[in-house]
Amino acid sequence: MTANEARDDEFPSIPKVDKIVHEPARFTIMAHLFVVESADFLFLQRQTGLTWGNLSSHISKLEAAGYVEVKKEFLDRKPHTTLQLTNKGRTAFQEYRESMKRMFSKLPR
Amino acid sequence: MAERINLKEVERKVYTSYHQDGLIDISIAFVILTFGIMMILDLGWMGGVFAVVGMSLYAAAKKTLTVPRIGFVKFAHYRAKAMQAVAIGVLSLMVLLGMLAFMQTEEGGTPPWLLFAIENHMLVIGVSVAASFCAAGYTFRTKRMYAYALLTLAIFVTGHFLYYPLHYYLILLGTLILLSGLAMVIRFIRRYPLSTTEPTGDSGNDG
Repeated sequence: MTANEARDDEFPSIPKVDKIVHEPARFTIMAHLFVVESADFLFLQRQTGLTWGNLSSHISKLEAAGYVEVKKEFLDRKPHTTLQLTNKGRTAFQEYRESMKRMFSKLPR
Repeated sequence: MAERINLKEVERKVYTSYHQDGLIDISIAFVILTFGIMMILDLGWMGGVFAVVGMSLYAAAKKTLTVPRIGFVKFAHYRAKAMQAVAIGVLSLMVLLGMLAFMQTEEGGTPPWLLFAIENHMLVIGVSVAASFCAAGYTFRTKRMYAYALLTLAIFVTGHFLYYPLHYYLILLGTLILLSGLAMVIRFIRRYPLSTTEPTGDSGNDG
């Protein structure tokens, strides 16, 4: 075992961290979707404090990664978007949390 | 970040924000108040009808008042399922107690435990309603339901010693909860004005 491999065993290297989840706004979005079954765009905007455009942009990235399922429909002739974390997204979020916890627990106090 | 974020706190915040509109308080107050008023009119059995009306009004008001302002969220069902199990358990227990009371009364006189419950009906009703508020507090994650439970206990324990008819206490409790709910609705409407519609395309800054 090389020195690098030994270090990786005890300390997950930063490049291995899921960068899709790591971005604070996306992490917040995923955390909110993690605790509910589904939510609409307005609810997420109110909860996260992000602007429409910013939230939309992050949702697009999460959708492209397969972490969020987006359902678009029209209610009373107005666009309505419902968002739900996919199983892949749920797993990615859990793995991210666990890897972060492991990493921080190794740091000296 | 993962170290700092507390998912239970996020969940509590989500629940609290969705139920901060005061509609659930008004619906509960409506059911208690109408039950009290119907008792004055000697139509106490109508309380069940108004409970159904109260639930329908709650759903309609939620759709009209809350969803356009803060959006829609569908919660995970594990708490609701736990509450359904508790409700079924409590209902089964009540049916069993009713059957037991009926059988024992038929056999020979009113059983002592039933006499005790009748003599202390204010306490029995107070504890039952307070327990229902605690269950609602757990289900909807709203701390004020526990405050209503304490208020209920205070009113009914006082009533146990004052000997006024039951409907006075129901109307008092309903009125206090209604006032609290109305204050919450006003605050909610001021805090969350009607939202504009969603943008139709993806745009904005990248994070």
